This record gives sequence, structure tokens and C-alpha cells, in this order.
Amino acid sequence: MTLSKSITARLGGDKLIWLIIILLTAVSLIAVYSSTGTIAYKDRGGNTEYYLFKHGVIVFLGLLITIVLYRVHYLKFSKIAPFLWLLSIPLLIFTVFFGAEVNDARRWITLPIINLTFQTSDFGKLALIIYLARTISAKQEYISDFKSAFVPIIVPIILTCGLIAPADLSSALLLFLTCFIMMFIGRVHYKFLLLLLAGGMVAFAFLILLSAFFPDFIRQETWISRIQEFVMNSDGGYQIQQSKIAIAKGGFFGLGPGNSIQRNFLPSPYSDFIYSIICEEFGLIGAFLIVAIYLGLFLRTVSLVTKSPKAFGAMLAMGLSVSLVLQALTNMAVSVHLVPVTGLTLPMVSMGGTSLIFTSMSFGIILSVSRYIEKLN
Amino acid sequence: MNIKNEVLYRVYGVTVLFLIYGFLILGKVVKISFVEGDYWVSKSDSLYLKYEKIDAQRGNILASDGSFLATSLPYYDIRFDLNAAGLTKEIFDLHVDSLAYRLVEHVDNRYTVGGMKEMLVRERNKGQKYLLIKRNVTHEELELYKTFPIFRRGQFKGGFIYEKKAIRGKPYGMLAHRTVGYVRKDAKPVGLEGYFNDVLSGEEGKRLVQRVSNKEYMPVSDLADIQPHKGKDVKTTLDVNIQDAAQSALMRGMLKHNAQSGSAIVMDVKTGAIKAIANLGVKKDGDLWEKYNYAIGTRIEPGSVFKLASVMALFEEGYSTDTPVFIGKGKHEFYDQLMIDSGKESFLYDSLSLRKAFEISSNVGIASTISKHFGEPGSSSWRTKNAKFIAYLEQFGLDLPTNIEIEGEAVPYIKDPLDVKDEWSGTTLPWMSIGYETLFTPLQMLNFYNTVANDGKMMKPYLVSEIQEDGEWVQSFKPVVVKKKIASKETIAKAKKLLAGVVESGTANALMTKKYDFAAKTGTAQLDYSKKAERLKHRATFVGFFPVENPIYSCIVTITDPKKLGIYGGEVAGPIFREIADNCYATNVDLKKNVADFRKPIIKNDKLPVNSKGKLEDYERLNEFLDFKIEKEYKSDDWVYLKSSQDTLLLKGQDIVSNIIPNVKGMGLRDAIHVLENMGLKVIVRGTGKVYRQSIKPGTKARRQRITLNLG
Repeated sequence: MTLSKSITARLGGDKLIWLIIILLTAVSLIAVYSSTGTIAYKDRGGNTEYYLFKHGVIVFLGLLITIVLYRVHYLKFSKIAPFLWLLSIPLLIFTVFFGAEVNDARRWITLPIINLTFQTSDFGKLALIIYLARTISAKQEYISDFKSAFVPIIVPIILTCGLIAPADLSSALLLFLTCFIMMFIGRVHYKFLLLLLAGGMVAFAFLILLSAFFPDFIRQETWISRIQEFVMNSDGGYQIQQSKIAIAKGGFFGLGPGNSIQRNFLPSPYSDFIYSIICEEFGLIGAFLIVAIYLGLFLRTVSLVTKSPKAFGAMLAMGLSVSLVLQALTNMAVSVHLVPVTGLTLPMVSMGGTSLIFTSMSFGIILSVSRYIEKLN
Repeated sequence: MNIKNEVLYRVYGVTVLFLIYGFLILGKVVKISFVEGDYWVSKSDSLYLKYEKIDAQRGNILASDGSFLATSLPYYDIRFDLNAAGLTKEIFDLHVDSLAYRLVEHVDNRYTVGGMKEMLVRERNKGQKYLLIKRNVTHEELELYKTFPIFRRGQFKGGFIYEKKAIRGKPYGMLAHRTVGYVRKDAKPVGLEGYFNDVLSGEEGKRLVQRVSNKEYMPVSDLADIQPHKGKDVKTTLDVNIQDAAQSALMRGMLKHNAQSGSAIVMDVKTGAIKAIANLGVKKDGDLWEKYNYAIGTRIEPGSVFKLASVMALFEEGYSTDTPVFIGKGKHEFYDQLMIDSGKESFLYDSLSLRKAFEISSNVGIASTISKHFGEPGSSSWRTKNAKFIAYLEQFGLDLPTNIEIEGEAVPYIKDPLDVKDEWSGTTLPWMSIGYETLFTPLQMLNFYNTVANDGKMMKPYLVSEIQEDGEWVQSFKPVVVKKKIASKETIAKAKKLLAGVVESGTANALMTKKYDFAAKTGTAQLDYSKKAERLKHRATFVGFFPVENPIYSCIVTITDPKKLGIYGGEVAGPIFREIADNCYATNVDLKKNVADFRKPIIKNDKLPVNSKGKLEDYERLNEFLDFKIEKEYKSDDWVYLKSSQDTLLLKGQDIVSNIIPNVKGMGLRDAIHVLENMGLKVIVRGTGKVYRQSIKPGTKARRQRITLNLG
């Protein structure tokens, strides 16, 4: 038996999802290596392998986490869900007031003792999705009831999203959209959903109002200028123009790995605009492949859900998948100027510790669900 | 419909939306890359980005006490990006009035406030992203500009852009100008600036800039910048005081004698550290300027100062100072050429001791002895014998360049009797022995004398003691021994005795002083003697060391082509040497001890610092020097008051309590400020001299008041 066969034989779960993880990891290593050329030169005196190595370590750690979580029975997540969510709230509050300010936004806290900074919104997001999967699936019998079903579902959403919003509006909006889709799939009554949309708008207006009084906590100016730029300027601002130049230069076949020119001119080419670099180096083929991989992940999860006997498993896998793929597509949509500029990473591909670790967790949980569905069938 | 199916239908619905989202993205990629492709690729050229170098701040060149001989002063160009991403219309409209006001007030008062505002609004509407506010702004001004409305929001939110540049300055002006040197475009680098260019210049940075007009580029952001790394500082061995003394003495001397060029070097005997190196030449407009490093870059025939090497060679061969030598009344024909002494004293004698011949600098005396000992032309294998003399010069290290840290040192030239190319003739050795036919730089000649002063240990002359970074030590250069011993102990002792004799009873006798002793040799060389020049030009040299016992400094002064009031080393270069030495004695503590032994000045009564007040230690030091009878009425007070009482002086102690304003009348300004400002008072000063009036009565409590002192 060859090594690869022995591995696949031992690893259960959805083979295609495993393949997707391997593909994304490979793309990530290549793209990060290429796009960190500039900052490595800048900060590390030309040691271009520095970031590749650092990123490689995190990728490896992420894979280990995926494997560990995949071995855990997914129903256990249901049990610890309330606890996780309760833990996330004080962390988020702490971040809003005392988090470290990076690029004008307070999104990070430093864990004591191990001295590791991490973005608390990633944790809050994961906790909320697991908790929501549990609540929605548990209340299926009386899902149309306002008091006993809708209220317990909506309160955590508002709390978590509300706490993420001041420093990171795009993540909060995306999480809210994910939750909205989960509620829609989970048969929450359409009256409530409409109500929620209206409420969301009111809340947003309130946030803008609030920002006039607390400009340090809420990045209203940034939002306004980005939206203004998106609406008014059809060419886009500096970043978008550089991103489009990257895509245009890529053409059909791309310039080849490591040959990006725009990485020198694009801010954060290794995270926010990594898709543009992929387009530049791998052309339309690369651009298509990346979209296909994420959509493939989504379709694969959908096919899992059709086989899932338990509502919780279906909701969990679906929620995580929606969150992941929605973020990926939105990141790409920014690069091609389909939506205003946001600071979202391309999950599993962009360089960045916390994001990668929590994405790996999501994959682990999805795979865990798939493993038990396979067993049953 | 059962629950499961309902859920599934909804899932399918979401799936469709996701697929649409994905296809929209791909569609956009296709559009950008194929439909708009050419536009964007051409746009990339029109945006025209490029990387621009950012010069690193150049390191400083420091004197031995840390003061700046050359430093880079930062200057800034201030620009205003009126269309910065974060500068919204609301903010601009709200603050443009107050910004215009501050700009008129501090930057350009040719505008009215309204006019300034109008201009800003107009430029904003035009899309201006790089409006020049002011060039060459100092750091202080920059800090002020940063506080202006809108500007205080920074580059991205307020459009405030400043670009740093540096202007090289020399706080001491011409002082050691040539040795400190410079680095200029399209010119050969000069001096220490050139030699240590790599250390001083640091590592340049890089930043991304975008073309905003035909010639101008503005920084895109600070994201891709590679920060420049500041250059390191070079700390020299130069002593600002000695350097200043050397330069001004040299300048006075040159003006007095209307000379063409000159140089003066002072070296630390034990280490070879160069304390001063001054070079002056006449500019086209007639002024004197440090225009060339003559001390290092020009090799010259040394003249009579070379005779030291000749007599040392004789001593090594067993001659004593008393060995009689042939003088021949100052005239003698060597081979086919007549040699004449320049000093009249020789004309009286047929023979003198070697010592006396050296002291009066008799050409015939030295040349005939050398010639006799090292082979007269025509005798058997005379060239080989001549070569032995050359071997001594090499033993004395005279053939070696100093390898000083300055580009362009001229290499010593010594003829080889066995080399056909060198045109060794019958007259070469005698003339060589009195300082012709060989070429040395003043520094190389000084180093030879320094070696004698240093008991035969030859040091490498050096200018740089340390490389520093932010005041911290990075690399230091220790003194280097080139040769442990160039001659026997006896030879060195005899050489020193002879040099001291030159001052005591020889050609430098007129320069002798009771204040201190020194050993030296004079030299007067004829220039272009081979040509039939209308007027014979000369070079006057004076080289020596002081004090005679345990010498501390060696010094050489060379003056080329003095045109009036004398030509001889003793009368032209010697006084400059003395002036430099006087100054060294005045500033060097080790030498000062010697001064006290020599000088007891007479001070008139009205010059005494009576009725003055100051630090006890100052008065004690003064008294050590003056040795007056002074009655003492103090215990351990820091501050004292000097009074005259009858025919003696009285030194009274004065209490100064920490928060009671004292009587500072009679104090010097430095002491008064020290005392009062330590109590937290603000001192306002009128006039110069000693304090004669203070605005707050003594005994008042100190409460951070303002106090006015009248000095006179």
C-alpha cells in the first residue's frame, strides 16, 4: 500500500474537502512566498524566506488543528457551544476598549503569558456560529414562535455583531449576513427576517450617530471614505487601481509564479489583495481555479447536508461553510472592485496567524460532521 | 412539505446565490483583464510609480572632545495633499479658515487670510495633491507646522507631507577644513569625509513615489518604505583648541611673510594621534584658505631638518657628539659642485664638533662627514658604500608612508645608488645628507622627529580614534607601533641632546623662552634651484617637540615661499611653532604644571579679583598659581568672598542655603546663574562683567521668581 493510500484510508471524512484543504494550502504557500517579497526585503534585509517559513509553521499548525478537531465527535461542539459564546463576549468587550491599535483599528489583544496577539473577532465569529447552529436546530419544532425561538436566536447575534462592528464593520456585516442565511435555512419566519433587516438598518444608523461622539472607537471616517470612493470613483482608489492593473497584467496565462510586479505597489499583497497577485501570476486560469475551489467547498457541504440525519450537524457544517465561502468571495469581490474596500482576508490563503488558525478549526469541524455522516451511511 | 425538504430547498436557493456571486467575480476578472485590459496596462504606465532613494542621515565628524567638526542638519520640504483620502469636505470646510490664518501668520504673509483660503480652496478643487507650502524648513518649524489645523491630522487624514533632506554643515568653518574634507558630486572625495565615506553615509532607504507633475513625485504611502539607516559618527583625534591655535598662528605667520602656502601639524608623541593639522594656501582673490592638504599630499625636499637623519646615521656608526668635523670656513667643493653654508658663523671655523656643526646647521660640516664616512665618489665601490647610508634611512623608517586615513598621501622618495634609473651621481650623497635629493611630506618628516621624541619607537600617525553610533562606541582604533626601535638608545639620546642644543645655542636660539623648554631643528630649503629663476624661492621649516624631558607633543611648521621679512626656518616657521607650543601649554593640564614652575607673573593691585565671589576651588587654584598671602576665614564652604584687608587678602566663606536668595554681588555670571537657577529662579541678565546689583534682596525666600542681575 502506498503512503498516500494509507493516509486516505485512515483519514475518513469527505475526501474532496481534504483535497480542497491541500490545494488551498499549496496555493497559499506559493502566493505568500511571492507576495511577501517586498516586505521581506524591507523588514528582513532581503531574507525572502523569512515570511514563507513563518507562514509555513502556522499552516502546519493549522493542519494539526484540523486533524485534531476532525477526530472530535461534532456533537461535543453542541455541548460546549454556550460556554464558548459566553467566553467570547468579555473578550470582545475587552478588545473594544483595551485592544492593541493596529492601522487605526482596535482588533487585537495580546494573550498574557504566551504573548501571542490574536484577533478576537475570529473567535467570536466561530463561537457564535456554533452556538447558533445549536439554538436553531434545537428550536425547529416551534421555530416560528417569537418569544421562545426568535429572541434566543437573535440576542446573541446582535451582541456579538454589535461588539465587532466598531473596529471591524465589514467582518460584523459579513457575520450578520452569515447568521441571516443560517436563520433563513433554519426556517425562521420570514416576518422576523424582514423585521431584522429593518432593525439592522436602524442599528447601523444608530452606530453612525454614536460615532460622532466616540470617534476613537468607531471608524466612521474610514467607512464613509471607502463607500464614497466606491460610488463616486469608477476607477477606484489607489489600491483598487493597482489591483486592477495586476489583474489586467495577468491576462489569460499570467506572468508565472514569482513574477508579480504589482506586489511592489499593492498594500498588503499577502493578505487583503492576495487574489490580485494570484490573478497576475496565474492569469484567468488561476482566478477561475480559486473561485472554483471555494464554490466546490460550498457544493460539497450542501451535499453533506442532504445526507445529514441530524439538524445540528447540517446547520453547523452549513453555517461554517457559508461563513468561509462568503468571506472568500467577498475578499475576491474587493479585488475586482465589485464591493467597497474592506479588510477581509482570503481564508486559508492569506498570510495571517489568527485567521488561518480559526479557518483550520472551521475545516476540522466540517470534516468531523462529514466523518459521522459517512459512518451512518 | 416536511422540515427536511424545506431546509434543503432553502439550501439550494442559497447555493444558487453563491454561484451567481462567484460568476460575477469571474465575470469582473474577465472584464478587467480582457475588455479593459489595455486601459489598465496603459494606466500602470501613466500612474508612473517608481522607487526613489531616501538618503540616510550622514554621520558626524567629531573632534576629540566630541564637538562637531562636520554634521548634517536636517531640513524639510513641506507639502499639502489637498485631496488626501481622509480629508473630507466637511473637515476641510470646517478648518480651512484657521489653517489659512496660521499659514499667513507663520509661512507667507504676502497673502491675506482670505486670499490664502481662496488659494487653498481653488487648489483643492483643481485636484491638487502636492501643493508646496515651504522649502527648507528647520526641524523646529516642522514641529510648529504639525500643530496647524488639518495638518495635525497627518498625511492620510490631513494631507500633511514633509520630506526630509540634509545639509552638511561645518560649525567651525575653515578649521581643519581640508582634513575633515568633503564628498561632492563629480569631484574626488577629500579628507576624512572621503576616507570614511562608507561609515558616514549609512544605508539609503527606498520609498515608492508617484508622478504628480512632469518633474515632481510624491510619496504614495509609507507602506513600502525601506527606512534608511543613519550613518555612524567618526571621532577624530583633533583637538579643537590646538587646531584653532595652529590655524591662527599659521595664518598670522603667512600674512606677515606674504607666503604662498603653509602647513602645521601637532602630534601626540606617545600615541601618534594627530592633535591638529592646518593647511593654508593663497586663493585667487588673495585670501588664505584651507585649499589643499599640503601636510599630507605634497612631498618636498626637507632641507636642513633632514640633517637629523644624517647625524643619527653617524652616531649609529660610532660617532660621538664631540667628534671634530670639517667645516672649511663654510665652503667646500664636492665632486664638481661648490657647497656654501648659509650661516655666517661657519665662516670663522675650519673645524667644529659634530654637535656644534649640527646646532649651527653647517651644510659643509654634515655633508663632508657623511661623504667621508659613506664613500666619496671615485673611491672603490663607492656606490655600495653610499647604499649603506640609504639602509640607515630605511632603518629609521623614512622610506615608509604614514598610511594616514586620508586619500592621496605622497610616498617618500629616496634615491637608490644601485639603480640606474635614479641617476645617482657623485654629488647625490652630500646633498642628500643636507636635505636635498629626497622627498617627504611634512607629516612624514614630523613622524621621524616624533619617533626620536618617543625614544625610538615609531608610531603610526592617525586621525580617527573611534567610530560611534548614537554616541555609543562601535569600533576604536588603538595606537599602532610601526617600528619598536629605529636606532640604539645612545643614538636617540645623542639626537635629543643635539636638538635641545639647537634651541639653547643654535639656529633656534632666538626662540628660546624661560616658560618652557623644547627641542627642534630649523630648515631652509631652496626651491627650483635647478632652474634659472629670477628670484630664488625658499621653504622654511621648523620641527621639534616639547618638553625636552618626556615630550608630549611634536610639531612641524612648513612655510613655502615667504616673500618678506625673512626666509629662514628659524625666523619664519619658528615663531609659528612657538605660538602653537605656547597655546598647548596654556590648555594642556599635563603641560601646565611646568608653567607654574616657570612663570610668576606680577599682578597689579587693581587687577586682583578683590570683592569678588565664587567657588572656593576656583580661588584655591588661582592661589596655587599666584602664591599670595591670603588669610582664610572659611571652613568647608563651597562659596567664598575675596576681600582686601590692609596689605593681605582675606578669603571669607559664604553660606548659601538652598531656598533663600543669596547675595550674588561680586559673582561672575556663570556662578550667579548656577546658584540662582538651581533654586528655580529665572535669571534675566543685563550687561557684562560681575554682578553689581540684584533685583531681589538677599534673604528673600526663593519662589521661582524672576530676578534681574546688573553686570558691570
